[in-house]
Amino acid sequence: MPLHDTAYKHWQGAHLGLWQRRWAIAKNGLTACLRIRWMANMVVLCWGAGLAAAILLFLVGQLLVADSMVAGWTSKLSPVLQTFATLLTGWLQDHPEISVGALQNVFFYFFGRELMIVSIFLLGIAIPCLITRDLACNAIVVYSSKAVSRGDYLLGRFATAFGFLALTWLGPVCMAWFLGNLLAPNWMFFWHARLALENILVYGLSSMVILSMLALGVSASGIKEKYTTAFWFTWWILGAVIVPIALHTKPWLRHLSFSFNLNEIALATFRVGDNIKTAQESIPVLGTMLSGIRPGTLATLAIPNLAGAWLALAAMLALAAWIIHKRVKPE
Amino acid sequence: MSPHMPTSPVIETRELSKVFGKQKALDGVSLAIAPGAIGLLGPNGAGKTTFLKCLLQLQPITSGSAKLLGREVGAEGREIRKRVGYTPEQDCHIPGMAGCEYVTYCAQLCGLPFQTARQRAHEMLDFVGMGQERYRKVDTYSTGMKQRLKLAQAIVHDPEIVFLDEPANGLDPKGQTQILELVQSLWRVHGITVVLSSHMLRDVEQICEQIIIIARGRVLVHDSLANLKARRRGAAEVVLPGRQEELQAACARQNWPCELLPNGHLRVEHRAASLNPLLHLLRQMSLPALEIIPSPNALEETFVQALEISHAAA
Repeated sequence: MPLHDTAYKHWQGAHLGLWQRRWAIAKNGLTACLRIRWMANMVVLCWGAGLAAAILLFLVGQLLVADSMVAGWTSKLSPVLQTFATLLTGWLQDHPEISVGALQNVFFYFFGRELMIVSIFLLGIAIPCLITRDLACNAIVVYSSKAVSRGDYLLGRFATAFGFLALTWLGPVCMAWFLGNLLAPNWMFFWHARLALENILVYGLSSMVILSMLALGVSASGIKEKYTTAFWFTWWILGAVIVPIALHTKPWLRHLSFSFNLNEIALATFRVGDNIKTAQESIPVLGTMLSGIRPGTLATLAIPNLAGAWLALAAMLALAAWIIHKRVKPE
Repeated sequence: MSPHMPTSPVIETRELSKVFGKQKALDGVSLAIAPGAIGLLGPNGAGKTTFLKCLLQLQPITSGSAKLLGREVGAEGREIRKRVGYTPEQDCHIPGMAGCEYVTYCAQLCGLPFQTARQRAHEMLDFVGMGQERYRKVDTYSTGMKQRLKLAQAIVHDPEIVFLDEPANGLDPKGQTQILELVQSLWRVHGITVVLSSHMLRDVEQICEQIIIIARGRVLVHDSLANLKARRRGAAEVVLPGRQEELQAACARQNWPCELLPNGHLRVEHRAASLNPLLHLLRQMSLPALEIIPSPNALEETFVQALEISHAAA
């Protein structure tokens, strides 16, 4: 028996705006994602990886200062490293756009690529929380009977997927960039590394939009959680298997893999191959060091023709939009 | 009618039609419904749920027009739904959420700030009679709890009108009574217009003041419950222990058609609003009737007609 007044009460307050209602949908989805067992731990792990990257950048930054503690340690460890550190210090003054700019650009390409794998994996686990569950339990009717439209619901769910990727990818990468440069011995690091940040944002935001849309499409494709999760992982893993096989048979088949297409965009954005080539040409010592890289490896890092990747991604996005349009209805 | 709200129609439809493939779920429904407790009656598949869904824009209208709370349905969807509550017939809970979280979330979807939404959610859960189980996940709820939760989410944002689709479905008699009492209080005490869709005549009779009976997508009747109950055809069945022929002869003298039914009862069309003339005749003849069954009222008759139409179509 309740101890207080249980009578119905009228409410006269002001309603919040549409964007706050959309935010409520996004927040609800994110909360549901993070409630999955060990998901919060994995997100923390992503941020831990970002922190580790920042520490690595800090250490590399210290190498560029002649009287830094790290430079002192290296001179004690090995005279070769000391020579290298001395050279690096010289490069910082002579070629900061390479020793800081190009180095961070290449570093963030590889770091971002590896962390993207973790993000795609976690997104696959979180996929049922986007639309699948709502379809399975008929919650779309509830959304449609409230003061939000189907578009608002989808926007909210898109923000959920986007926010999830921001938590597991963009956030840690940006933190690594910021902390790495904040702890650098010279404020000029921020300026020289600006291109890396631009690339992170351009590639990060575009790939997150694409991945979020694809995830929504997969999530809307079924009402069974196991089915949509399996769909995502099958697509992803099958794509990864096809890419090396198709390279020597039918190269266009590689575009069936969304991660391959995203990697093509990353290569074009970060221009990793160009950066390495410039470093080889501009800095003789570095050129000698990088000459060990096999021509085949360098070829894979060259700027690809993006037409195929964009076309394939556009087709995938269109398919995802069609699935969402067909499936996300009150009935 | 309770004086809580203005008497201008809350629902207006003009030639509202909804077609699924070749089947007409709604066939030119034109109604002007005043605020109150409104019962939407009809057999399964009559078009009640489709009517509600068209008003809420859950289904697009094929032709015709509709206004809800003075606003055009289709043009101002969000604004309308801000002032409307709805409990669907089927379950619609989001798994993994506790009851109070779910109702809070529904309030937020209607534009209530989080703190207010949470407070209102608890108030509404108190109102529908949910105790500590509100902190349990909705996946574990019984049918009765789910029905209460559906009602709480429908009224948490203080709507002006609430649509309830079979709210007592799947409940035991005690649960049905409790839910119907809550629904009844929404209009009678709190002035919220209630549209109760049901195929149970008893439920609708218990709480509604206006009745709309639908069959095969058409409105058969729209009138007040009082009017429908008052309208009878002036006939009765008389159960006698014997002497049926005497009564038949007396009825013939009165010019009242009278027929002997296969069950031995006599059906007398006395054409009067009350049974008094028939009782007077029986007293005059000193006939001790075992039972006098008045003809069904217009509500029952129309409902039976709706059922027959539905069965004929099936």
